Amino acid sequence: MPEINDKTLESQTKSSVFRRRVFGHQGVIIGAAIVLAAVLIALSAPLIAPHDPYSQDLLNRLVPPVWDSRGSWEHILGTDHLGRDYLSRLIYGARISLLIGVGAALISGLIGTVLGVAAGYFGGRVDMVVTFMITVRLSMPVVLVALAVVAIVGGSLQVVIMVLGFLLWDRFAVVMRSSTLQIRSMDYVAAAQAVGCSTTRILTTEIMPNVVNNLIVIATLEIAHAIILEAALSFLGLGVQPPLPSWGLMVSEGKDMMLFEPWLITIPGVALFLLVLAINLLGDGARDITAPENRN
Amino acid sequence: MIVKKYFSTFLAGTLLATGFVSVAQAGKSDDTLNVAIDRELESIDNYYNTAREGIVISRMVWDGLLYRDPKTNEYLPNLATSYKWVDSKTIEFDLRKGVKFHNGEKFDADDVVFTLNYLADPANGAKPARNVNWWKNAEKLGEYKVQLNLKKEFPAALEFLSGPVVMYPNDYYSKAGPEGMALKPVGTGPYQVTSVEPGKRYKFKKYDGYHANSPKGSASIGNIVMRTIAESNTQLAELFSGGIDWIWKVKPDQAKRIAAQGAFTTKNSSTMRIGYLNFDAMGRHSKNPMNDVRVRRAIAHAIDREGIVKALVQGESMVVNSLCFPSQFGCAQDIKSYDYNPEKAKKLLAEAGYPNGFETPFLAYRNRDFAEAMINNLNAVGITTKFEYLKYAAFRDKVQDGGAPFNFGTWGSYSINDVSAITSHFQSGGKDDYSKDPEVIKQLGIGDTSVDPAVRKAAYKAALSRISEEVFMFPLWSYNTWYAFSKDVDFNPTPDEIPRFFTAKWL
Amino acid sequence: MLYYTLKRLGLAGLVALTVSFISFGLLYISSDPAIAMAGETASDADIEAIRQLYGFDRPILVQYFDWLQRAISGDLGKSYYFRTDVSVLIAERLSTTMTLGVSAITFAIVLSVPLGVAAAIRPNSVIDRIALFLSVMGQALPSFWFALMLIVFLSVSLRVLPTSGSDTWQHFIMPTIVLGYYAAPAIMRLTRTGMLEVLSTDYIRTARAKGLRPRVVLFKHALRNAVIPVVSLTAVQFGFMLGGSIVVETIFALHGAGFLAWESITRNDLPTVQGLILVFSLFYIVLTFFADLLNAWLDPRIRIN
Repeated sequence: MPEINDKTLESQTKSSVFRRRVFGHQGVIIGAAIVLAAVLIALSAPLIAPHDPYSQDLLNRLVPPVWDSRGSWEHILGTDHLGRDYLSRLIYGARISLLIGVGAALISGLIGTVLGVAAGYFGGRVDMVVTFMITVRLSMPVVLVALAVVAIVGGSLQVVIMVLGFLLWDRFAVVMRSSTLQIRSMDYVAAAQAVGCSTTRILTTEIMPNVVNNLIVIATLEIAHAIILEAALSFLGLGVQPPLPSWGLMVSEGKDMMLFEPWLITIPGVALFLLVLAINLLGDGARDITAPENRN
Repeated sequence: MIVKKYFSTFLAGTLLATGFVSVAQAGKSDDTLNVAIDRELESIDNYYNTAREGIVISRMVWDGLLYRDPKTNEYLPNLATSYKWVDSKTIEFDLRKGVKFHNGEKFDADDVVFTLNYLADPANGAKPARNVNWWKNAEKLGEYKVQLNLKKEFPAALEFLSGPVVMYPNDYYSKAGPEGMALKPVGTGPYQVTSVEPGKRYKFKKYDGYHANSPKGSASIGNIVMRTIAESNTQLAELFSGGIDWIWKVKPDQAKRIAAQGAFTTKNSSTMRIGYLNFDAMGRHSKNPMNDVRVRRAIAHAIDREGIVKALVQGESMVVNSLCFPSQFGCAQDIKSYDYNPEKAKKLLAEAGYPNGFETPFLAYRNRDFAEAMINNLNAVGITTKFEYLKYAAFRDKVQDGGAPFNFGTWGSYSINDVSAITSHFQSGGKDDYSKDPEVIKQLGIGDTSVDPAVRKAAYKAALSRISEEVFMFPLWSYNTWYAFSKDVDFNPTPDEIPRFFTAKWL
Repeated sequence: MLYYTLKRLGLAGLVALTVSFISFGLLYISSDPAIAMAGETASDADIEAIRQLYGFDRPILVQYFDWLQRAISGDLGKSYYFRTDVSVLIAERLSTTMTLGVSAITFAIVLSVPLGVAAAIRPNSVIDRIALFLSVMGQALPSFWFALMLIVFLSVSLRVLPTSGSDTWQHFIMPTIVLGYYAAPAIMRLTRTGMLEVLSTDYIRTARAKGLRPRVVLFKHALRNAVIPVVSLTAVQFGFMLGGSIVVETIFALHGAGFLAWESITRNDLPTVQGLILVFSLFYIVLTFFADLLNAWLDPRIRIN
């Protein structure tokens, strides 16, 4: 079993310690680089995309990427089943996937954290109500809600983000609640209460900093989760509607050709994978970096 | 195979399958044809399901009084050896002797009378209702002689009696009813059902007591197993791994590549299904651009039907200009048609007061890529769409409730070879009718009820012409089906899209 | 403890009621039950007749309580599509889904907890990196892609496993891997995080300073505490899997409750969907109840005051 030692820090300024941690952490660097690249690509899409991602060319359908013998430099990553340039769709797709992931995670994070911390800290009736809400939410099939919403309001990017945001808060709530429950019974919280600190102060200075690690972990999971869930909803026809080039939709549109022209799925799949990997590295790194600071 | 090539990098050595898993009774060696279908059947009782697969099973397990030859479209005697029109509303049938049901029951007039009277009673809820709601009752004239009394003159009578209307055993059905029949079907057909796992799997065995001289011939393949596999890639994987021998409704891009591999036989056949655009001509939904005939004509000119058929629909499909499938009785082809002409479309739109186009809702339930291609055509002439892609049930509900001023649908006519099965369904003032044009309704009414073929043809032509003139609905193209199956199988598809396994053989 | 149990049971009943009411409402909004029941070829008159006969013209609340009344006595009605009893239909399909779900969560736990612990013990090591990579793979791989790739590799190329269906236990191997793999990442990461935190607390340092053997420290103290949020999460994941099983059941042609749920929703088969939701939510409630009990046993501080 390895030794676990106290880390004794030499006396240095807080910011230089922080800087050293950030740049010394491989994962954060790689993760941040990829996410940054994705954001830049998304922002500069109209400038770098070689073609209009919506323009169809029925005479040039399913052209393979340039590395295949049937491919050409005209369409570096080939074309889809309606002859649309795949590279351009991939580039514009970065916007959509990022918007969905971050948007949904923000909404669900807000809802879930408020509910979970409140339940964990106040206990009693508040906890009962929140647990009730969580259980109701978890017992509701996501598919049914998505289907009903789409039937009433119609499918669009905003609708998808809202639906995902209002459906994915459960993990935030569950984890925040159990973490808060643990922290609440710690000595330092009892001490703060004994001293007479206000609830708000206790929540912000004692509870939140100690649960923020789990929050970051779950937030990174949920950004990725939202992006992937959109792909699953696209599989069922309930996600973003065509012709929007979301990576999830591109994956599900390529499904029928999976056994014959696998690049249709592999290319957006790899893009999704890299983005999710990067987000996770970033989240993990952020946790590692901020963790020691929070020990008392 | 391409699949093996794709994985050659992963396969280091060879890992042979040990007897770890028994491959499902495999094809020719077991005289078992393994077939995959893509949906759960609600019931295999012929009168309580509406899926095409149900029709396929129906032809295997039961017989009708007559049988339509899929090649010549002639009505041949099956359980009835002859028939006679006593008058325009009465038919007499002489029945075949010596036929036995799968459970040993003797076939005679009692069965025919029981079946027809059972179906005529709307309380029994046989579906689809239009198959059975056109006769009043049946009377027994002798042990092998029956009389059928129609409610009114019904020209498609023989068409229905040679296909969807099949004979049930009276003793068995009166005891077991639809629930019993769905679990243990009994008929006179060339195959009998040996096992039913509802919605999952059905097993059939050749019926050795099938009557000779049947127009269906006699079955060759001994056993058939039909499994529901919803995912198309899984069906393909099963085909490649030998678990399944026969699949259909293969997507055209997939079929092309399977054909290129050469490991399986692929065949394509046209079907009676056609695609169409439906417009809110009468303002049933709202006051909207579709009310104006110039807008509808513009849209007709804006869609590149040939291009879409060639690139996307493929196979034996073709553009259709009349709201019916060309082989259907009464489907006149010499009517006004619209060529692909985006310039003309833009001019018409400007005339109608939309020089910059407009936005419209657009509803569809299948062939998303065809819809997207059409949307692209519309965008090119300035029409933008708010596209909604729903499941069939939701689509149908919305359309029939008047909620869809512009939609893309298809109709297979249940393979009934008669204009009454399609045009009249959509344009006789029913729930799918968004024009309710009195002239069209009148002409269709004449065609539906007259028994004089010449009168019927003239009336249908008038109706179809007017529909085309006013573009109440715009016919797009016919559909086709791809079949892919093991090289051990000799199978020939028919244009009515009802695979007949009783004519298939091992090679 | 008794008071706690009773309170939870009361809550459970309320949840089931709320869920069934919400879904009832949603279903009614998204489809017309009279049309669904009458079928696609019915005429207007037929549909009106059915509307009267089955009371679809009554206010939603009345219809809901009618359904509830019958459901409590065990009658879930008849499926609009199959015309058989919903309870029989669900019972048939549920065994497949349960088999799949239990195997999948077991697979997920057996895969993720040891991996999470190992990663926590050696942070930033090779094992930690591998664990991270696997967890991202598990999340970022669309499950249908993973499922079909497994089929092509194991069934078509190597022919060691059957492609689809549910006849033998071999048929469940690939579906279990796909479904379980999907639940694994969250469990693994939370275990890892939890262990990392616990291992660096004073409490653990004290235990080690006392000279307790590392293994004792690890299992008796650290894991027990770290696993608390994991237990809750596992319950959540299991419930979530019932939804995720739709894709797996569709691809592997396992005719379970997930596949039935999706198909019934798209066919507007209201009684079946209502019945399934009721069963799922009841099941779910029982699950979270036991998860909370387990947590309370693991950490007495959590017992609700």
